[in-house]
Amino acid sequence: MNNNNQNNNVIKKAKECYFCVNNIEPDYKDTRSLRRFINFYQKIIAAGRTGTCAWHQRKLTLAIKRSRKMALLAFTHK
Amino acid sequence: MSKTKPSGASHYEILFVVSNRFTEDEAKTCVAKVEKLITESDGKITLNEYWGKKKLAYPIKHEAYGYYQLFEFDLEGKELAKLDEKLRLDHEILRFIIVTKKLKSDEQIKKEAKIKAKIDKKQADKEKEKKSQEVKKEEKKEVKTTKSGKAKTDIESLDEKLEGILNADDLL
Repeated sequence: MNNNNQNNNVIKKAKECYFCVNNIEPDYKDTRSLRRFINFYQKIIAAGRTGTCAWHQRKLTLAIKRSRKMALLAFTHK
Repeated sequence: MSKTKPSGASHYEILFVVSNRFTEDEAKTCVAKVEKLITESDGKITLNEYWGKKKLAYPIKHEAYGYYQLFEFDLEGKELAKLDEKLRLDHEILRFIIVTKKLKSDEQIKKEAKIKAKIDKKQADKEKEKKSQEVKKEEKKEVKTTKSGKAKTDIESLDEKLEGILNADDLL
């Protein structure tokens, strides 16, 4: 059975970069918009999944890590 | 030593959490202390935002809550290092973060305004399309209602006719 193909079909891909479209920069204080780029386990979601461009993904990871340090976001789920 | 930075203040942003051991008033005195630290070393505070008591995403030193305070300020690099040192040794402050902030030049502001205008235009167009579609739908609905209205009038006229027939004396 070709399971790999099936799995690939399940994953939905966003085409547009959230930050480019809305003309904003990732900010560690803005947890509401950062939250859409982490999963249930509080891990950062890959750029391919979220559609974020490489330029903003680099800024995004830094922003998420900063807000984790300031206890605005959690490192892991409870 | 060719690449020495030109002397002069640059723009920074600081966010820190005051421990929940203190009451709100005590936390505010702590905030005032930090403000004094900045202003005493020839710093200039441009933004002062007090976020209040917030729940921490994870407990720090067995504390679930903390008071958040945000400052934006201009300060010289040498003074910043001293400030960092003082804040690190302060037990009242659970966490702090100092980030450099680039001040936008006039060109950048113009560019961003242009991009914003474009985005707004796109959204306006989308809304227009939506509205036009809704209008079309409404028109369709109206057509339907008029049709049903006609049917209703037909029924009413029929009823009247029936009543007329029933009331007529010729039936018997």
